[in-house]
Amino acid sequence: MKTTRRDLFKFAAGGAAGLLLTPAPWRLVTDTALWSENWPGIPRPVRGELRTRFTHCTLCPAGCPVKARCVGDQPIALAGLPGRPLCAFGLSGHQLPYHADRVTEGDIETVRTLVSKRAATESVAVLDLRPGRTASWTYRRAMAALPRGIYLAPQSAVPAVNLDAVKTILSLGVPVLDGWGTPAKVLAARPHFRLIQAEPMESHTAMLADEWLQLRPGSEQALAEALAGQGGGERTGLSAEQIGSVARQLAQGGALVLATQESPAVIELNHRVGAYGQTIVARREAAVPPSWRPAAPTTALDALPDRSIGVLLIDESAADVYLPWTALESKLAAHAFVVTFASSRAGYGRYARLTLPAPVFPESSDDCVPAVDSLAATFRLAVPLVTPPRGVASPTQFIAKLANLPASNALRERADAIHAVGRGTLQQYADSRVVSIKTIKRDEFWKGLNEGGSWTDDAGGKMPPLEPLPSAPAVVAMSREMRAARGPMPPLVSKLYRESNLRVRT
Amino acid sequence: MSAKRYGMSIDIDKCTGCGACMVACAVENNVPPAPEGANDRKGITWIRVFRIANGAGKTAFVPVLCQQCGANTPCVSVCPQQAVQVDPATGIVGQMPERCLGCRYCMAACPYHARYFNWWDPEWPAGMEKTLNPAVAPRMRGVVEKCNFCHGRWHAAKARAAAQGRRDIDPADYVPACVEACPTGAIQFCELSARPDGPGGFRLLEKLGTDPKIYYHSQRDWVREIAAAPGGKEKARG
Repeated sequence: MKTTRRDLFKFAAGGAAGLLLTPAPWRLVTDTALWSENWPGIPRPVRGELRTRFTHCTLCPAGCPVKARCVGDQPIALAGLPGRPLCAFGLSGHQLPYHADRVTEGDIETVRTLVSKRAATESVAVLDLRPGRTASWTYRRAMAALPRGIYLAPQSAVPAVNLDAVKTILSLGVPVLDGWGTPAKVLAARPHFRLIQAEPMESHTAMLADEWLQLRPGSEQALAEALAGQGGGERTGLSAEQIGSVARQLAQGGALVLATQESPAVIELNHRVGAYGQTIVARREAAVPPSWRPAAPTTALDALPDRSIGVLLIDESAADVYLPWTALESKLAAHAFVVTFASSRAGYGRYARLTLPAPVFPESSDDCVPAVDSLAATFRLAVPLVTPPRGVASPTQFIAKLANLPASNALRERADAIHAVGRGTLQQYADSRVVSIKTIKRDEFWKGLNEGGSWTDDAGGKMPPLEPLPSAPAVVAMSREMRAARGPMPPLVSKLYRESNLRVRT
Repeated sequence: MSAKRYGMSIDIDKCTGCGACMVACAVENNVPPAPEGANDRKGITWIRVFRIANGAGKTAFVPVLCQQCGANTPCVSVCPQQAVQVDPATGIVGQMPERCLGCRYCMAACPYHARYFNWWDPEWPAGMEKTLNPAVAPRMRGVVEKCNFCHGRWHAAKARAAAQGRRDIDPADYVPACVEACPTGAIQFCELSARPDGPGGFRLLEKLGTDPKIYYHSQRDWVREIAAAPGGKEKARG
């Protein structure tokens, strides 16, 4: 039989048709896809032994416990504990160190030399945006050691809120359901209190509130004054009936008024509705070593004369309540030197002469202040999960060195002081064990704290009295605007802000 | 191992719209942050919380994820690549990105808009790739992805059960990330031995007959009316 060119064509066509009936082409498609999946542009997750570590979140003052799933020493996922979940920010907090907008470079030694030189002749002020930490004590000790040191904090004292006693909350722009207090505790108490949100825009909390009062922008204090019987209700844009209705609800007992800034009107209103001693209570502070006691007092910004600060050092690494820059600026001398320790230039970095890179969660080694809804004192460490990059300056160590104080062991010293008092319990998250610190040794207590333990003071006992009016503390909380301005959010929060309609943009 | 039928029960009245489920899901499943140009239509959010309002000052939040259709699964029937399959052992509708050609038929077919296309190469800021979950492979540009009830966790639970000599996994070992993260307990994960209907229970677009395995609950009439879209939505808007 003679093979013709036609036969060759028929064979090729038949072969091609037959090939389709074999797995070969489909295998090729799959393999091509697999190759393309592994192309160099796609990162490959690091594999290794999975470990669980515990720490506390410092992104807000709630200080929620964190269970970190790690590959080796690298955290790959954060979660809360059963009944104590994390918020959206906390869940992606382990990505913050890698934020594209992070400040990573700063000439720390040059700044130290400049500040040391000026500190000899000019007044040096430290602005602590999260007072009550061990770092705050270091700042106060350092300022006491300097000839003209001033310790500034947005709040004179941080009281506690007894959520169990709260029946009505009037919130003047505070994101009560969006990051105030300990989220788990607030949500657990939510069915038992009525929330009235007074805010110009329909924020997340306003959406979920029982009543939303849409008042004119900037008229929150006017509403507080009107409710305290000082007039001015017309400035709020609310009707007299609406204001009267709120006043009646507050008068029914168990009331609490929250604001984003300390003001006499809010203090007076809380006093009138009987909040002090009922819903706002005093809280004992965790013990500190006696040698720390000669510390600088907290100075309110208003108490400072204008143009009196020569050097201003701002610890923005843990920031809860921001003071308006205009208020700070008026206190600065003509050629004042302002340095902020921050992870980004989004906050005071826009105005300061220099921004020095500060560690971020979960790099920072710090302790957590007691949450506003915690009635007992607590001592919890934010144990670093990752090592900060080179060039990052710890504001505590910088300021302590300025006054020749040893800051590196301040947390250990305080833990020892708490242990020496012998009051309270240590909770270990790994095995949910709660032990009295009387039954453990000092080193065991320190080890337990570093493994993510939490010390809680005894609830009973003698509590300090609340300060009388007009210096009684107000419960001040960060507003949504302040929260948005304080710095970069973890990148995955883009899922909330850009890829959904979940959050209203500020 | 006995066949399971996993599903979820979501209490809309408990959801506060905090978005923790969305972020926890993205962390667990190596979903990248939004690239420039991503928006609510092009972004990848395996679970997305929608805000709904009744026009009279009341708001509710509805988490929507792949409904894991149990019958006439639309995405399975249209996929030309067999890249979507229902796992008979779990009832989970699985997506295999390595088989996906990116035709997006499945996205057009999905009545819940719960499938997402990778319009861009996945990119993480420098250094952040160290935080990726090794149990889940990142997907490349040009493929579709969706919720798979954290299949990586299911595999881990299965491996743990095998190591302990058990055939069935311990329910406590297998909890999807969104369920674990929900601060109010609005999202519950369970094996659907029976329909978890309570008062005010419903499923999204139930009339399509796709037998979704996500059960919603709300005591509020207007929420249930909106869920019965489109007629209910018009009615709810007034």
